[in-house]
Amino acid sequence: MAGPEMTESKESAVTADTPAGQRVDGPPTRAGFGRVLVTVYGILALAATGRASYELATKFHEAPVAYLLSLLAAVVYVLATVALWQGGSRWRGVAWVACSVELVGVLAVGAASLADPDAFPESTVWSGFGSGYGYVPLVLPFAGLWWLWHTRPRAAEEGASA
Amino acid sequence: MTVPLTVLVVAASLALAAWAGWFVYRDRPVILRQLWGASVVEALVVVEAVVAGVLLAGSASVDSPGLFWGYVAASLLILPFAAAVAFAERTRWSSVVLLLAAVTVAFLQLRMVQVWQG
Repeated sequence: MAGPEMTESKESAVTADTPAGQRVDGPPTRAGFGRVLVTVYGILALAATGRASYELATKFHEAPVAYLLSLLAAVVYVLATVALWQGGSRWRGVAWVACSVELVGVLAVGAASLADPDAFPESTVWSGFGSGYGYVPLVLPFAGLWWLWHTRPRAAEEGASA
Repeated sequence: MTVPLTVLVVAASLALAAWAGWFVYRDRPVILRQLWGASVVEALVVVEAVVAGVLLAGSASVDSPGLFWGYVAASLLILPFAAAVAFAERTRWSSVVLLLAAVTVAFLQLRMVQVWQG
C-alpha cells in the first residue's frame, strides 16, 4: 500500500469533473478547451514562423539576435502545437518543455526589452511581453501549463493496476 | 485590394464571429448552418485573393508580396480548420474555435490592407 499516494489519488478522483475510470493515459490534451489551445498555438506558430522566415531571409544581418529569437519562438510554438495535438505521455513531456521554454522566453525577453530597449532594436514575438500580439504570447504558456496539469494522468489507475 | 471587398470580408467574418460568440454564450457546439456561413466568408476571401492577384499583375504593388500572400494563405487555412474542429468537438469549445478563427480572418484583413498601402 502506497499510503500518501493513495490518499492523493482519492482526492483527485473526487475533484475530477469526469469519471476517472478511463483515465489511464490521461484525458486527451486536444479535446475540449484543448481545441482552443491548439487553435491559438497554431495561429501563433504560423505567425511566428512566417515572421522568422521573412526576417531571416530578408534582413538577418540587421539584428541577428532578435531574429534568431524569433526563430526560436517559432520552433517552440510549432512544437507546442504538435505536442498538444498529439497528447500521450511522450508528447505531453514535449508540451511541458515547450510551454516552459515559452514562459521563460516571454518573461526574459519581455523584461529585457523593457529594461534595455536598445538591445532589441527590432522587435520579436516576445518583445514587451508579446504586446505586438495582444499579449497572447504572455497568457498562452500559463494556459498551456495549466491545461497540461489539468489533463495530467491521474494516479488512481496506476495505483489500481500496480 | 479593393476597399468594398475588404469591408465585405471584415463584415462577414465579424458577423460569423458574433454568431459563434452567441453560441459560446448559449453553451452550444457549432452547427452546420454556421459552417455554410464560414464557407461564404471563405469564398469571399478567395474572390479577394483573385482580385488582388489580378491587380498585382497590373500596376498595383505591395510592400512585401511574401507577407501579403502569407496572410492570404493563413486566412484561407483557418476557417477549414475551425470546420474540422466543429466536426470533432461537439461541445461549446468548437464555437470558441470558430469565434477565434473568424476574428483572426478579420484581423488578417487589417494586416493585408496595411501591407497593401505600405
